[in-house]
Amino acid sequence: MSHCQPVRPRHWALATLAAAAACTLIAACGNSSAGSASSGGTVTVGESTTLSGSIAELGESGLQGVELAVADLNSHGGLLGKKIKVVSADDAATPATGAANAKNMILQDHVVALFGPVSSAVAAAEEQLAGQYKVPIFFHTSNDISLMGANFNPYAFQVVPNTDMEPRAAALYLDSEVKAGKIKTPLALGTFAPNYSFGQDSVAGFIQALKYYNVPFKIVSQQWPSLEATNISPNLSALIAAKPSVVYNAQFGGDLVTFVKQATPFGFFKKTTMLSMLNTAELAALGSQAPAGSIAYDRAPWFAMNEPGVTAFATEYHAKYHQWPDTWAVLAYTSVQVWAYGVKHAGTFDAGKVSAAIAGAAIPTIRGTITIRACDHQAEIPEYVGTVASSPSSLTGFPLWTPGSAFAAPFSKIGLSCAQMKAMQK
Amino acid sequence: MHSLVLDIAGTLSAAANLFVVAAGLTLVFGAMRIINMAHGSFYMYGAFAVTTVLGVGAGWRFWLALLAGAVVAAVAGLTVEVTVIRRLYDAEHLTQLLATYAVLLIFADIGQRIWGAGYRTVNPPAVLASGVSIAGVQVPRYQLFVIGVGAAVGLALWLMLARTRFGWLLRAAVQDPESVATGGTDLARLRTGVFVIGAFLAGLGGALIAPMQSIAPGMDVSIIVSVFIVVTIGGLGSVAGAALGALLIGLAQTLGAEFFASWAASLIYLTMIVVLAIRPWGLLGVPER
Repeated sequence: MSHCQPVRPRHWALATLAAAAACTLIAACGNSSAGSASSGGTVTVGESTTLSGSIAELGESGLQGVELAVADLNSHGGLLGKKIKVVSADDAATPATGAANAKNMILQDHVVALFGPVSSAVAAAEEQLAGQYKVPIFFHTSNDISLMGANFNPYAFQVVPNTDMEPRAAALYLDSEVKAGKIKTPLALGTFAPNYSFGQDSVAGFIQALKYYNVPFKIVSQQWPSLEATNISPNLSALIAAKPSVVYNAQFGGDLVTFVKQATPFGFFKKTTMLSMLNTAELAALGSQAPAGSIAYDRAPWFAMNEPGVTAFATEYHAKYHQWPDTWAVLAYTSVQVWAYGVKHAGTFDAGKVSAAIAGAAIPTIRGTITIRACDHQAEIPEYVGTVASSPSSLTGFPLWTPGSAFAAPFSKIGLSCAQMKAMQK
Repeated sequence: MHSLVLDIAGTLSAAANLFVVAAGLTLVFGAMRIINMAHGSFYMYGAFAVTTVLGVGAGWRFWLALLAGAVVAAVAGLTVEVTVIRRLYDAEHLTQLLATYAVLLIFADIGQRIWGAGYRTVNPPAVLASGVSIAGVQVPRYQLFVIGVGAAVGLALWLMLARTRFGWLLRAAVQDPESVATGGTDLARLRTGVFVIGAFLAGLGGALIAPMQSIAPGMDVSIIVSVFIVVTIGGLGSVAGAALGALLIGLAQTLGAEFFASWAASLIYLTMIVVLAIRPWGLLGVPER
């Protein structure tokens, strides 16, 4: 599989073809690592994720987190006396390619665990394979609730807050701002989201969460720019024309950065409070243009988690990659630790035993001890929310969150109950 | 009033950007009867070239970057014309389409090697970064700048086609290439010239939009779909048609976003279907002879 790494096709058809040609038809590709699970004192783990296209940054960051975690494990003697090797491949955000990658990793690289991917659609395809071939799979970026709901299988684990928790945390924070008198109700609410399942689900989840927390609101505009939109100005103009007081923006990455840059000259952030997934990478990209006063939610912001382990990780990451770790790296690192815990406690790489050791366990990680809930394999971790600072942090040189604004929305308040998850798993 | 000003500025700026790119595509088709998929690559290279020239800085270098974007695309266009397109003038449409699509894929791969797989962003120069108040409504200066460039490109193309010898030859070559060649004109050089101008415009369009969106692999494919709709609506080969098509699509996008938000994307295709049902050769096009 490692030979296939440089292949980074972008177009769907081409990606599938190239993956098939490079990895399936050419037998030489898998030969080098065949049988690595049992011989030579190494085991292999696989990270198939998105390494090309507009969401590649999330995938790259996650891969770096996995690689760093494995390097740290190896420097402490590996696991059960074996060194660990990482193979990776690009899924081009396409389920078929992701599934092909995962299958190759299982059949040819004999991986003992899978990590990744970015897209939940890809994750669903890989989850099915992992169940079929009995390989533990750890999701550290893709977080659709159905992965641990309707599609649940005993070998899959969710080490990231899911799509339900995220908007609830944002709504909870908004509610506290309303109660503190910082935001007036009823909210004149605008939503802005890419027109596909993640965007639609996030917006629906947020609106549901506002109702759940009894925050009065009125929807003034809902914009759904297509994922491929070359220019969001028409949607942006329509949004601004509706004069929203609060905007829930489900974009991320480069699209979110663009939104902020384009909306600023309209005077948008002077009149409107935006809630969005402005993570470290986006704040770094925006620099002094970061929208001060906007509300940011983040799955694992290293700078706001107050965990010595995370701070040490961030320092190590910065030294190695010359940038501060994004959420995706922190989560990916943690997911490797969860797997390693399972292996150590099971005393074997056997999928069934490793999975059983993880389910319900309280696992020490860089972010403190986290519990993997037995009923749905969801990590009981908080989602973080804060307000974007108006001045740069002395540590990073770009604005992070206003000191004291960071809020960890507890899992007990934002997560669904086991009974609710069990109902979905039928 | 508030939304009217925003709508007009939004429509015109979206239309202006589409027009700059579409004008290049339609010019090449008009003169050479080639549907050039690689036009999207020239657009993307224009945008990425801006990120290279501009880096993290802004200021006066922006103007240099804008020019560099167009020039990089023009050079890429020259290379493609000389190595590939020139051999395809007598080929079937399908062969041309496949060949230019292959070029697009190759450029996409080369692009990733040069600029990476992630996204990049750049800032407009300080003078265009802020907003300006029009009838009490704040509108970004950069939107007005894009509208201005669109108008200037339209005027320049009209002058070139109507008032210069090159433009006259070009129009003659569209009507009757054989007699132009018999008249002593080097048809190959004329075609190369048109192709380079087309690529230049694509690059300019990409450079122009660079501060307004994240620049990432994939923007080559998405723009070619949009501008193809624009030139089909306007009439393949007609520059005025491209302007009209761009306005229609800009309007469909803006009104769609405001009044039928969840159907906005379909509205563009619906506009195309309606236009083609009534005038299969486009609004200002002429039926194929």
